[in-house]
Amino acid sequence: MRRMPEPILEVRDLTVHFYTYAGIVKAIERVSFDVYKGETFALVGETGCGKSVTSRALTQLIESPGRIVGGKVIYHSDKGPIDLLKLREEEIREIRGKEIAYIFQDPHASLDPLYQVGYQIAEAMVVHNTVKDLKEGLQRALSILKRVLIPDPESRIKNYPHEMSGGMKQRVVIGTGLTNNPKVLIADEPTTALDVTVQAQILDLMNKLKRDYNTTLILITHNMGVVAEMADRIAVMYAGKIAEIGTAEQIFKNPLHPYTQGLLKAVPNPMKRIERLDAIPGTVPNLITPPSGCRFHPRCPFAKDICKQKVPELKEIEDGHFVACHLY
Amino acid sequence: MQEEYKKGILDRLADFLVIALGSFINIFKRDWKKKNKSKMEEWRLMLYALNRSPPGLIGVFLVLVFIFFGVFGPRLAPWPYNYFPFFDNGTAYLAPPGTQVYLPSHETIMSLHLGADHYGRDLLSLLLAGARTSFVISIVVIVLGVPLGILLGLIAGYYGGKTDELVMRITDMFLAFPALILAIALSAVLPNRLQAFISSHAHLQSFVLWLFGLHMREAGNLGRLLSVILAMIIVWWPAYARITRGSTLTEKENLYVEAARAIGLSSWTIMFKHILPNIIGPILVYITLDFGSVILMEAGLSFLGLGATPPIADWGRIVYDGTQFFPKAWWLIIYPGLVVMLVALGWNLLGDTLRDILDPKTRRSIEFKVKKTKKMEEKEGEENA
Repeated sequence: MRRMPEPILEVRDLTVHFYTYAGIVKAIERVSFDVYKGETFALVGETGCGKSVTSRALTQLIESPGRIVGGKVIYHSDKGPIDLLKLREEEIREIRGKEIAYIFQDPHASLDPLYQVGYQIAEAMVVHNTVKDLKEGLQRALSILKRVLIPDPESRIKNYPHEMSGGMKQRVVIGTGLTNNPKVLIADEPTTALDVTVQAQILDLMNKLKRDYNTTLILITHNMGVVAEMADRIAVMYAGKIAEIGTAEQIFKNPLHPYTQGLLKAVPNPMKRIERLDAIPGTVPNLITPPSGCRFHPRCPFAKDICKQKVPELKEIEDGHFVACHLY
Repeated sequence: MQEEYKKGILDRLADFLVIALGSFINIFKRDWKKKNKSKMEEWRLMLYALNRSPPGLIGVFLVLVFIFFGVFGPRLAPWPYNYFPFFDNGTAYLAPPGTQVYLPSHETIMSLHLGADHYGRDLLSLLLAGARTSFVISIVVIVLGVPLGILLGLIAGYYGGKTDELVMRITDMFLAFPALILAIALSAVLPNRLQAFISSHAHLQSFVLWLFGLHMREAGNLGRLLSVILAMIIVWWPAYARITRGSTLTEKENLYVEAARAIGLSSWTIMFKHILPNIIGPILVYITLDFGSVILMEAGLSFLGLGATPPIADWGRIVYDGTQFFPKAWWLIIYPGLVVMLVALGWNLLGDTLRDILDPKTRRSIEFKVKKTKKMEEKEGEENA
């Protein structure tokens, strides 16, 4: 029996191009996926495959020379579904930080060096009028610092970013993301810049906060270990397209797309015993002139003629398990 | 507290200034002093670093003197700029430095320490009154021109794309002209309209006259004075638009700008609250250096006969009028030239030093040097004992 979970985000045919002097970089091409309420959805793929661009495009955070060329992002807010890409700048600003919040990769760079961390947390609330003034915002910031387990929050709230360690800063950044109790939290490689022991703490914290706040988490990462620990559902991206979507169990136990298979062979798989790690031959294609047909065909061990000519569409192979490959 | 440095008089003065400023802010904001101890310590270190740079101290001294005379010059001048002793006593005509001239109408003796011009006016008084002219013009040009440049630079850098192209191409058009030539052209074209404008606004007119320390009779000359100011504002902003745009382009790549966008801040808030404070340091240094350039250019324009007309006291104009009597009346060129040079030098030295002490890295290196010498002296002292 297939359960019918409630979607909170429906992304359809999202396409983003970057107009550079070298040519048009087709960063993501017709990306479609659903994110369900309360789940942890992981976007996985190697560097430069368009994970970050996808996440930023959701709230129109694409900067010149990039442009969102087409597609729809239906967000199911309390007031009903909205297409986020159709909103004007002032309207989308209301969504950002309040309904959909971000946590960025590098905590060292994502805080303004000139302001105390307490102020930066409070600013996120003041701009959305969730507090009446900065003073109340600072009080709330204090309780948020407690919530993200910062020791001695009373004195830490007055710290400048340079006075904190990386893990501490990432907690502040997570706190900033959670200030307005967002429905969706997008974490773009939240642990990449941190060392391994701190990574585990941060992931625990995010899991705990996600449960406490009942937030939907979109996790962007290339770290399969993090994915295995956190994700309910996984989308694998390759060269700006979705290769495969499925639950964590389906992806790890039964990867269908040759790229996913290669990816899992390239890292130690916590759910499967393998003898040795393999590398995927070749490199990521240039996205100005992407390969014809299936973008993975030059590196694919099972490539056929049709792969060079026809772009594969996402097909549902088993319940909730989609793959874009001509093999199926 | 244990003293880390060997403190001189200037360091004690710095201590006093910092504590005084802290206490002053404390009156308005409760517990400010307690909460901002590290900030005050940082100010103190800045002043210590300044005290250890002789060129910087000279710069500060020259600039303070200039500001003092800029504010009080016309009041301190022994003789008014618009009194012409030549008509009282012909010997005042181009009287050399040190001459004493008897003025029958005042029944007094005028001592011309620095000599007199061809109206018999005391050069010292003219230089003092001229300080106000230079001071006001440089401040007005900087205060109006720089924010305009910064604003346009921020917009161009932050929005990028077509906005950037448009703003920067206009900026390039202004930069393509040699600044002095453009200023000459503008200040030759503008006076009549400005004169008509200022004459029809009585309050504004008396305010401007008061600002320059001028008599009502000079109302008819204001147009020329203002035209120089306007011309200089017009040639001054493009440089700032360009450096601000450059810094903005680098700064906006930082993740915290994207993070600020992601929490829903508006573009203007991001520009003025997050980007501008992060790039203002180099701009401040540039401004300090530019005060000198504004004064030089203003003197240059008046030397070419644009801007202030006699009897308004203006350093450049004094030199221009003096060229007719050179080399006989050498003092009319040497003294005003020297004054302009010293003021420009002062601002430049100050700007250079500010760059060093505003940058925490170079400030620390100065600090280390100080600590080292202190330690070495202690060692020597022990050895001697």
